[in-house]
Amino acid sequence: MAKEISELTLQDDVRYTEDHEWARKEGGAVKIGISDYAQDQLGDIVFVELPEVDSELEKGDEFGTVESTKAVSELYMPLGGKVVAVNEALADDPEQVNKDPYSGGWMVEIEPSDPAEFDAMMDKDAYLEMLKGL
Amino acid sequence: MASASKKTRLHGWHTAHGANMADFGGYEMPLWYSSAKNEHLAVLTQAGIFDTSHMATVLVSGAEALDLLQICFTNDLTACIGKEKKPLFSGRCVYGAFLNEQGHVIDDAIVFQIDEGRYMVVVNAGMGPAIAGHLKAQQGGAGVQITDLSDRLGKMDIQGPAAAKIMQKILASPDTVLDRMPYFSFKGHFDETAPRADAVRLTDGVPILLSRTGYTGEFGFEIFVAPEHFVQLWETAMAAGEEFNGLACGLAARDSLRAGAVLPLSHQDIGPWPFVRHPWPFALPYTDDKTGFTKSFVGDRALLSASDADYTLPFAGYDLRKVSLPAAVLDADGKEIGAVLTCATDMAVGRCGDAIFSIVSADAPDDCKIKGLCCGFVKVGPQLSAGQEVTLKDARRQIQVRIQEDIRPDRTARVSLKKML
Repeated sequence: MAKEISELTLQDDVRYTEDHEWARKEGGAVKIGISDYAQDQLGDIVFVELPEVDSELEKGDEFGTVESTKAVSELYMPLGGKVVAVNEALADDPEQVNKDPYSGGWMVEIEPSDPAEFDAMMDKDAYLEMLKGL
Repeated sequence: MASASKKTRLHGWHTAHGANMADFGGYEMPLWYSSAKNEHLAVLTQAGIFDTSHMATVLVSGAEALDLLQICFTNDLTACIGKEKKPLFSGRCVYGAFLNEQGHVIDDAIVFQIDEGRYMVVVNAGMGPAIAGHLKAQQGGAGVQITDLSDRLGKMDIQGPAAAKIMQKILASPDTVLDRMPYFSFKGHFDETAPRADAVRLTDGVPILLSRTGYTGEFGFEIFVAPEHFVQLWETAMAAGEEFNGLACGLAARDSLRAGAVLPLSHQDIGPWPFVRHPWPFALPYTDDKTGFTKSFVGDRALLSASDADYTLPFAGYDLRKVSLPAAVLDADGKEIGAVLTCATDMAVGRCGDAIFSIVSADAPDDCKIKGLCCGFVKVGPQLSAGQEVTLKDARRQIQVRIQEDIRPDRTARVSLKKML
């Protein structure tokens, strides 16, 4: 890999999944994106396909794809809910996911259907342990 | 199936410079350093420097070397240079393939004539033993010596408009070397004891074989050097490239550049099927009327009788979305007519109106936004013509693409060296 684990930015205000998505509580809503590890593995992101606003998705559902020069990868919902917003800026500027995966590179915002699903996600330390085992 | 990948002498350099590494042809190679996209674009605008020492080189020499290559190699070495189809001569090289009796591709290659009766055959990663073995099996008499130099040679490619300026800085006599060096010619030798070693030396005296070839479709060179000098040469070239914003490039950029340039990847776009009905007829020794061959060679009869062979055709999409392999090709009625061989993204091109332009196209309309196009090759049953649309379908999505005559326009591979200095 390009980045050593110690070089990865792993924020502690988000929770993580085994598929390298992150989720962050913002008021009653939850924003979702992919981790620094995921963007580093994918390489240059050239296209992001996102769901329609108002889509109802369950935990584990595919909500879109992220396409790099290397491959096309599915995005999976870290928790279920209704999509209230998608990051329209990624249509013209998909490299935001590379440059700023936790902020400018967010992908969808949802109203979670079951807050317990958020609490069940990995915190930074657990995610870091998982990455070390890869 | 986990077998240890081989490493090139630059492995430590690649990892120290943050490369994403992956296995390719049995070698652990860099896919990209910081950005495959920037590396791809650098080859069109500045220069890209590639470690290609995973490729294999086989030396073929002796009184019957030409006869052996004529039997085994698809191109006719007695009639392959220029429009007049002159014989290959020393200092020139030519593209072709090695086939089996079924007309299937064992590997593609460039054959360099070093001297009369002395040839260098450059094939793909890991293919040295197979090609050396194939040549030995076809060898009638004892008049040929076949030496597989796999892992005993360093090779790097400098590709892009600044390539000649970089060479100018690292060669001992750049004015002499870079004079009269057309596309698919070469000078020098990597072996200190070879008579031609004096023709091209680096500033530190190391002899190299310098060839005006490459795998990007863009202007540039391939450099062959003795392995003990390889890391030093790489670092010298990288340092010389700095003022031109040259970038070390990985195999991802190499793949997307070659796809846009309509160049095949061996064992993917050419392989175990008859080597006909593809965009590379110049690799075959067709007679002027295209009905036969100018010589006989291993696989020729199979090719001439392959009347139901598939067609291999280049395509480009309408944006940069790709399909992942395996993927099927569907015709306008949704009927499956073949398979996708390569689907890559040429980040330097875009469609504006009915045409494809690249970031270096002087004639691109002002409002032409170039974001990249998916492109590659399909292998289909029916004969399609350029402009026809097909659908590519993988497990996830379907995309519309158009069969193309060519993909990335305004490529520089054939531009005169003088214009690049």
